[in-house]
Parts: sequence; structure tokens; C-alpha cells
Amino acid sequence: MIDALKHGLRIAFFLLLQGLVLNRMDLWQGWVLPSLYIFGLIMLPINTPRVVLLFIGFVTGLIMDAFTNTGGLHASACVLLTFLQPLALQFLAPRDGYEVGQQATVHDLGITWFITYGGLLTLVHHSWLFFLEQWRLTPFFSTLSKVVISSVITVLLMIISQYLIHSSKDRRNA
Amino acid sequence: MRSLWQLLFRFHVFLLFLLLQGVSLALLIRSNSFHHASYVSSSNHLSGLLYARRAVVAEYLRLQSINEELARENALLKSESPVAFLKLGDNIYLHNDTLHLRRYSYTPARVINNSVNRPRNFITIDKGLRNGIDRGMGVANKGVVVGIVRDVSEHFAVVMPLINIAFKMSVKLQRSNAFGSLQWDANDPAIIRMTDVPRYANPQRGDTVSTTGFSTYFPEGMLVGTVEDYRIPEGENFYEINVRLFAEFYRLSHVEVINNLLADEQKALEQLSIDRND
Repeated sequence: MIDALKHGLRIAFFLLLQGLVLNRMDLWQGWVLPSLYIFGLIMLPINTPRVVLLFIGFVTGLIMDAFTNTGGLHASACVLLTFLQPLALQFLAPRDGYEVGQQATVHDLGITWFITYGGLLTLVHHSWLFFLEQWRLTPFFSTLSKVVISSVITVLLMIISQYLIHSSKDRRNA
Repeated sequence: MRSLWQLLFRFHVFLLFLLLQGVSLALLIRSNSFHHASYVSSSNHLSGLLYARRAVVAEYLRLQSINEELARENALLKSESPVAFLKLGDNIYLHNDTLHLRRYSYTPARVINNSVNRPRNFITIDKGLRNGIDRGMGVANKGVVVGIVRDVSEHFAVVMPLINIAFKMSVKLQRSNAFGSLQWDANDPAIIRMTDVPRYANPQRGDTVSTTGFSTYFPEGMLVGTVEDYRIPEGENFYEINVRLFAEFYRLSHVEVINNLLADEQKALEQLSIDRND
């Protein structure tokens, strides 16, 4: 129960951060648009039921859409993300499976693992988002480079925020 | 029947995925059309309120430049007020109300959210139905075209600016009076594309582009931008003109919403003619 609350608050926090701060940043003329709000989704517990996961993704996306006036664009990308998330977890599972209580974090599974996991899902989400948004007018390669640059920044921000969360926890324990 | 249920259950995750994806895409497609209101938008209560809160903070941090802007506008208005003029003759004139019918009214509004880096940009303003704002009204900033109101709620409204790939409007070159249509190509928020300009238009660099007054959104002659460069694509008969916009979408803080009081009459009449032709 406490866990569910924690995850809900985290999703809400990153949604607000995205909607009120990150979306306002105009980095390099719109070439870099990190979507850090998916961090809350990526960090959901490894054994979350897939149906629940899909609904959380859908609602999170809809809230983001309300911020950016994009109808169902983010909802669509998030539903895809939460559909593929368990598959990615399965694909990247350690040889003996995940341990009980292990979380999808740098702290629990290592930085290489997280970059692969977060990177894969972020890339899928961003590609879907950018290509769906611009499918009509802009050329393929400029969109592709936007996807790649933004994904790299998003993953970087995710790692940084994990270190921020963990360092504050360690301090409390000490 | 039982095996059908079993099959459904086996693939229930995938089916749910398809269902949610379908709903999302339907919402997206609906929101892309120019005339339909969208259900999920920042004119709704929660995100509208959040944006209003943030705008208060952001505006506080920008007070100085806003002050300067207002001071400039004040000076301009003062220099145009009757006090600033010396009366030279004493001709009498009558202002007969029956000769002057008010056609446009203006409502000032504050920008509480604004995006410039997306293909589909939107502006949220802090006036809504309560203040007489309605869908299809024009939005301007100091006589320069900004966009058109697309969604409206009790206290907020969402504006589709010129820099949204779904935006379409007819404009003219002020020097030659030649018409063309505007559409943004999602590249540069300062440049917009004007197409379908006939050969005889003979555009020049620096020509002013303004509204036609055909549509019910804006009065005639409101400023849009200046001609940056132009060319006739091979095998075509019309110019393609890049227009540098006057509106500075990066730093928009206050706008005026233009209410065309005769819009309904004009639309009803035009619709009548269209219907009779069929």
C-alpha cells in the first residue's frame, strides 16, 4: 500500500516537473525535448500485472496530453511503452531471474543494465511520440536525430535523478 | 464458446493494449482537426489552474520587461489621445450613432501557457466563456495576428497560433493586394509559408503581409509579417513565399481576443448561399 502510494507520487511528481518546467525549456530551437515524465512508469515494480501497467500508462499519458493539448499522443506512446516494458524486463533478466524486492534501478541492477533498459524503452517511446507527431511534414532524418538526442538526454536525466534520490536516502540512513 | 473465452483470456493483455491504443489514436486524430474541440486540453480545469499558478510566478520574474512594454504602449496611446492634439479649426461635426455600428470588440487576456517548439503549438489564456470568449475568435497582440481560439472552458481558452501545422488562413500582400494562404511547416517559429500566390503578385522582399478580412476571425489589414524570400517551384504557376512573422511567440505575455459581433450574420448568410447552390 505504501509502495503504491510512493509510485503514484513519483509519477505525479515527474508529470508536474515535465508539464510545468521541462516542456517550457526551449533547448537548441526545439531539437532537444526530453520526456522525463516516463521515468515514473519505468520505475514501476518489476512484477506489476500487465493490465494494471497498461492502465497506469494510459492515464499518465492522458494527463500529459492535457498539459500539451495533443489529444492522445502521449497516451498512445505511454501505452506502447507499458506494453513493451515487461517484455524488456524479461529480455534483460539476470540469469537467475530477478530477486525478490529488486527494483529497476541503477542501485539494484547496475548502471549498464539500467542504460540498456531505460534506453530501449525511452527510444521506443520517443520514436513513437516524435514520428506520430510529425509524420506529415518534417523530413525523416531530422526527426530521427531529434529522437536520438532527446532520448540520450532523457536517460541521462533519469540516471541523475536516481543518484539524487539515492544519495538523499543514504544520508538519512547514516 | 468456451474456447473463444479461453482465447480472449490468453490474449487479454494484447487486446487491452490494442483497445487503449485505439482510444489514444482516436483522441489524437480528433484533436488534430481544425474545427473540433478536443476533450483533453489545457482549457480543462486542473491543468488550466496549474498553468495559471505557474504563470503568476513566471510573470513576477519578468515584471521589468512587461513594465517596459506597457510603458511603451501607454506612451503610444497617450500620444494618440485627444489631449495630445491641438484643435486648429472649430468645425462642428455630429457623431450619429446609427451610422456607426460596432463590429469588433477586444478583450485583453494573459498568456498562461505557451509552446513554440512543437509542430502543434498551443497557447492557453486566462479568459474563458465567463469573459465572453468563444471558439473561432481571433487573437492578436498589439495589432499583430497571433492565432484563433480553438477550445474554451469556463475560465480558460486554448489558442491555436499561426505556428501550428493545422493552422490555415488566407492573407494578402499589402502592396499588390494578391491573396494567398498561410501554413506553417514546423521548422522555424519565426517563419511561415505563404502559398498559392498568383504570378502577377510580383512580391518583393520586405512586402507587408496582412489579413484579408474575408474570414470572420480578423478585421482587414491586421499585420502578419514581411516577405523574407520567394520562389516559383518548378512546373507551377504560384509563388511560394517565406514570411517572417511579426508576432514574437517566444515572449508572448498579453494578448487581445477579437470578437467579431457580426460574425454570425456573415456566416449565416454565406451558408444560405452555399445551401441554395446545391
